[in-house]
Amino acid sequence: MSGAIVELGDVRDQARVEDAADVVIIGTGAAGATAARVLTEAGLDVVMFEEGAHVRQEQLRSDMWSSFKHVWRDLGFQVASGRAFTPVLQGRCVGGTTTINGAIIHRMPEKIWARWRDEFGLGGALPYPELERIWDVLDRELFVGPAPESVLGKNNSLMRTATERLGIAGNLIRRNVSGCEGSAHCNQGCPTGRRQSMNVSYVPRSVAAGARVYATCPARSLITRRGRAAGVVGQFRDPLTGARGPEVVVHARRAVLLAASAIQTPLFLAKNRIGVGAGVLGKRLQAHPGTAVVGVFDAPVEMYRGATQGYESVHYWDERMKFETVAMPPELAMARLPGLGPELMRELAQYAHLAVWGVQVRAEAHGSVRAGLFGGTHIAYDMTDADIRVLKLGVRRLTEMMFAAGARQVLPGVHGLPHAISSVDELSPLFDAPDDPRLFHTIAAHLFGTALMGGSAFNSVVGPRFETHDLPGLFVIDSSVFPTNMGVNPQHSICALAWLAAERLV
Amino acid sequence: MSWWSFERRWLAVIWQTLLPSGTPGGLALGARDVPMDRFLDELLACAPRRVTLGARLCVWLLTFCPLFVIGRPRTFPALAEEERRAVLAKLGQSDVYLVRELPTLFKMLGALGFAGLPAVQAEMGLAVRDSSAPDWAGEPKP
Repeated sequence: MSGAIVELGDVRDQARVEDAADVVIIGTGAAGATAARVLTEAGLDVVMFEEGAHVRQEQLRSDMWSSFKHVWRDLGFQVASGRAFTPVLQGRCVGGTTTINGAIIHRMPEKIWARWRDEFGLGGALPYPELERIWDVLDRELFVGPAPESVLGKNNSLMRTATERLGIAGNLIRRNVSGCEGSAHCNQGCPTGRRQSMNVSYVPRSVAAGARVYATCPARSLITRRGRAAGVVGQFRDPLTGARGPEVVVHARRAVLLAASAIQTPLFLAKNRIGVGAGVLGKRLQAHPGTAVVGVFDAPVEMYRGATQGYESVHYWDERMKFETVAMPPELAMARLPGLGPELMRELAQYAHLAVWGVQVRAEAHGSVRAGLFGGTHIAYDMTDADIRVLKLGVRRLTEMMFAAGARQVLPGVHGLPHAISSVDELSPLFDAPDDPRLFHTIAAHLFGTALMGGSAFNSVVGPRFETHDLPGLFVIDSSVFPTNMGVNPQHSICALAWLAAERLV
Repeated sequence: MSWWSFERRWLAVIWQTLLPSGTPGGLALGARDVPMDRFLDELLACAPRRVTLGARLCVWLLTFCPLFVIGRPRTFPALAEEERRAVLAKLGQSDVYLVRELPTLFKMLGALGFAGLPAVQAEMGLAVRDSSAPDWAGEPKP
C-alpha cells in the first residue's frame, strides 16, 4: 500500500475510516516511529495513530505560544501536583517530544543497565551488546555527533570555560542534527528541519515504505479477538477545538504496539482495563526534574545564537546530577526572571547578556498518573527530601560554574535568597532552609516507569518481550516499561528498546 | 469562555503593573503598548479550561487582596501604581507557596504574549526570526 499522513481535514466528510495492517502503532514519537522504521523496512504493513497534528516546517513560528499551541501537549500547561506544581514537558504532534527536545543523545549508562539486570532481572531481555548494535545504527541514521564548534554560541562555550577553570569534566553534547544552523529554536520545533526528530526522519521514512499515519486521531480503544489484541479504534479530533471527525477502525493482523509515552500509555491501558491487576500501572512514575540558574555577563552572551543545548557536564552523575546549557526563549526567560515591574523590564533589557544553564536530577521520587476529572490527566509527583538536597547542591555548583565563567551576577531563582547574588557564599541560607520543592521553580522532563517491564504479572505490566501479561498481541514499547530513570536524556534508549521490540516481531 | 469586561480590565491592569512602559534602563514597550487584550482572547479560546478558570480565580484574588496585603481597602486596579507594585512584591515574597505563585502566574501568562512579539524581542536585542506578528496579534497597534 502507499503511505500517507492523513489528518482530520482529509477525511472530514467521511462517516468512518477502516483500514488493516500487520502492526498498528499508537504514538509517533521516539518509540513508535522507530518501531515503524524497523517494521516497514522488514516488509510489514504498518498503521500509526497520532493524537497531535502533523506540523510542517513552514508552519513553525519562532514564538513560544505558537509552538505551545501546535506542538506541545496541553499548550505547555501540563503540570504535576505535589507540594509544588511542576510543569511536565511533552510534545503532542507527529514526532512527539522529539520535535521539541534539545536533540541531546546519550546511550543508557552501563551502571543503569547493570541495575536493571541485577534488581529487575532484565539483563537477558535487553542484552547490552544488542543495544549497542542498535545505537550504532541509530547514530548513523540520525546523524548523531558532537555539536559543531561553528554553532556553539557563547551560552555553550561559557560552560566549557567554566568546566575547564574548575577542573571538572564537560563535553560537547552529542546531538541528532544534520547541518545545525544554530538557531537556538529546538524547543519551538526546529525551523530549519535539521534536527532529526522523528517527524523528519523515521516517520517520513516509514511513510515512504508504505505506513499510514492517522494524525489528529487519538486512539480510543482496543479491538480484541479470541483473547488477543486485534486492532485499534480511534477518532479524528481537532487538537485545538476538540471538534470530532470520523471514527477510525484499524485491524491488526499481527500486533498492536503502544508507544504513547509514560503519561498516555498507562491511561490508555487503564481505560481498556489492561495491566491493572498488579497494582503498578500508572504508579512508579519517575522523571528528571530540574531547575535553571541564570548568569548575567558583562559581554553579550546572545543565547539565541548557537545550538539550544550544546554543552554538558556529567562529572557529578554519580551524585545524581547532570548539568547542561539551555538557550531559554524570551518568553520562558521572562517567566523565570525574578523581577516584577520596572525591575523585570530592566532584566529583560539585558536578555542578550544572560546565560542559562540547568541541573537535571536523577530523582528517587516516584509519582503516579491517572485519569483526572472531566477527561483530564492527573499527574502526582513530589521530589523526595534527598532529591531536594541534590537540587540544592546542583544549584550551588551551577552558580560556582557561572562565576568561574565570568558572570557578574547570578540569579539563582530560589525563594528566600536575593534575586541577584555576587558570590557563591550568598547561597548559604539555602542549605539551612528545609528540603522543600517549593523553594524552586522546577520542570520535569524524561518520564518513565508507569507500565513496568518484569518477569511476573504480579509486579509488572509487560513481560521481557514487551508483551502485556494480560493481553497477548499487545506490546508496550515506550519508556513506560523502564524500571528506573537514567540520569541522562533518554531518547536514544527509548529508540533502542523500541527497535529491539520491533525486531522481535519480524 | 468569555470574561466580563471588568475582569478583562482588571487583568490588563495587572499586566500593565508587571510590564510597565518606558522603564529607564529597561524596555520602552510595556503591556500597554501591545495588544494583550487580543492575547487574552487567544488564551481563552485555546488554553485548557482549568488554566483559564484558574487565571480567572486568580484575577479576583489579586483584585481584592490589597486590604490583606498592604492594609489598603481598595481594589488592585484602584491603587496607585507604586502601591500596586508593592502588593505584587509582597505577594511574591510570601512564605505561602500558593500566594507567592500568584504574581508568577500572571508573569508567565503575560510572557507568552508579550515576549513573543517581534517588536518586544527586537527591543530585547534578539535577532528576530519571524518579523511578522503571531496570528493572535494581527496588525500591531500604531
